[in-house]
Amino acid sequence: MHIMEGFLPLQWAVFWWVLALPCLAFGVIQLKRILAADREALPLLGVTGGFIFILSSLKLPSVTGSCSHPTGTGLSSVCFGPWVTSVICAIVLLFQSLFLAHGGLSVLGANIISMGVVGPLAGWAIYRSLRGTGVNMYFTVFLACAIADLCTYIVTSLELALAYPAEVGGVTSSFVMFVGIFAITQVPLAIVEGIVLALVFKYIVQLKPEILVRLKVFPEAKIRAAAGDA
Amino acid sequence: MYEELLEDIAQQNRLREVNTCTKLTAGVGAILLCLLSASFVAPLFIGLVLTLTLLFLARVDPATYGKVFFGPLLFAGLGVGAIVLLAGGEGTFWSWQPLPWFSLSVTQASINQGIFVFSRVFGGTSALLFIAFTTPMTDLFLVMRRARLPEEVLDLAMIIYRTIFLIMDQLVQVYQAQLMRLGYRSFRESIRSFATLAGSVFIASWEAGEDLTRAMEARCYEGKFAVLGEGRPVCLPSAAAVVSFLAVSAWVVAATSHIRLV
Repeated sequence: MHIMEGFLPLQWAVFWWVLALPCLAFGVIQLKRILAADREALPLLGVTGGFIFILSSLKLPSVTGSCSHPTGTGLSSVCFGPWVTSVICAIVLLFQSLFLAHGGLSVLGANIISMGVVGPLAGWAIYRSLRGTGVNMYFTVFLACAIADLCTYIVTSLELALAYPAEVGGVTSSFVMFVGIFAITQVPLAIVEGIVLALVFKYIVQLKPEILVRLKVFPEAKIRAAAGDA
Repeated sequence: MYEELLEDIAQQNRLREVNTCTKLTAGVGAILLCLLSASFVAPLFIGLVLTLTLLFLARVDPATYGKVFFGPLLFAGLGVGAIVLLAGGEGTFWSWQPLPWFSLSVTQASINQGIFVFSRVFGGTSALLFIAFTTPMTDLFLVMRRARLPEEVLDLAMIIYRTIFLIMDQLVQVYQAQLMRLGYRSFRESIRSFATLAGSVFIASWEAGEDLTRAMEARCYEGKFAVLGEGRPVCLPSAAAVVSFLAVSAWVVAATSHIRLV
C-alpha cells in the first residue's frame, strides 16, 4: 500500500524524509558491515530486492474480490534483518515509482517509513520472539509476514491522518476513518500474504533448505527436520 | 499479472536523447512546485503541460498513459473522499455526528481541500510519469554515481535492476503454465499456485545471484561496478524550454494562490 505522489503536503513529505534518512543511514552501515564480512552477499541481497519487486508487482488473489499487491518485506526481514530490508525496500520503492507509477518521489520518505522500516521491524520482532520457542516454524513466518503487512497499512493510515486531521476528533478520528476504509482490502490481504509467504517458505524448505541454513533463519536441525518431513 | 514496465517505454520515447539532468530538473521541479502551490490551479496547469509533452513530444501511447494514470487517481479518489468528509470548515452542506468524537460533514472548505489535494496528485503523478516515461534507469544510475550515492547502495540498486528482467521471463512462463492447467480456478487453488510461483521465483532468483557471484569473481570483481552510460551534453533549446516551463509554473503558483473552485 503506497501513498501516491502529491498526496502529502510539503511539510509532511519533508518530515517523513527526515525520519527515513537516519534509518536508511543505519541500514547502509549494516549493509557495509555485511559486505565487508562476506562479499558474496551482495548479489544475493540484490536478487532478494529483485524478488521483492517482482512479488509486489504481482496481483494477489483477495477474498474481497479485488486484487491487491503483497509487500514481501516480512520474508526479507526474517531472512536479512529489518535494517538491510529498509535499504532494499527504499531501492524497490524507487523502482516501483519509476517502473510502475506506484508511490512517488516526494512521498518516498513516508513510504519507506511504513513499508521499509516499521513493517519489517514489527515482522522481525515477532519472528525473533517466536524463533527460540516451540511455535511451528511456518506459523512464525505467517505471523511475521502478516503483522509486517498490517503494520505497514496502519502506519500509512497514521501518516494520512497526521497530514489530514479531522475537524472533530482531530488525528484520532481521521485515523479511524483511514484505517476503516483500507481495512476492507488490507486486513484480508495481510492474512493472505501471511499464508502465501509461509507456503513460499515451506516450498524453499522442501527444495532448497541450504539457503535458509546459510542465512541462519532457524536452527539448522529444525530446518533439516522440516525438510525431511516434507 | 505482468504489468508493463514503464522502463520499456522510457527506452524508446522521443525525449530519450535529451540530457538526463534537464529532464530530472523538469520533473523534480514540477513536483516541488505542485507541493508549494496553495491552489488547485497550478498543479492542474503543470499536470496538463507535462501530459501534453508526454503525449505529443515524447509520443507515449495515450492508452498506456491513461492506464498507468488510472491506479494512482483511483487511490487518490478514495483518500480525497475521506478528506472531504473529515476536514470540516465553513459553509456546511451536510453533516452527521454518529459519535461525540467522530463527525462526518461536507462543507465548502472541505470540497475545496479535496479538489486541491486531487489536483496536486494529478500534477505530481504527471511529473513522476514524465521522469518515468522519458528517463531509463540506466541514465539515472549515472546521475546517482555523480551525486556520490554510497557505492554499496548503487551496486545493490544495479543488481536489483538486472535481476528484475532476469526473472521476469521465468515468472511469466510459470504463470502461463499454471493458468493453462487451471491453477487459478478457485480461491484455494489460486493461493497454492501463487505460493508455488513466488517460491520458484525466489529459488530462481537465488540461483541467479549465485551464478552472478561466480561470474563476477571470474572477472576480478573488486567491490565496485562500472557504470557505463552516455553523458549527453545539455542542449540549449531543451534547457531553455525547461527553464521557461518552470518559470511560468512558478508564476502560476504565485498568481493563483487565492483561487478556490467552490
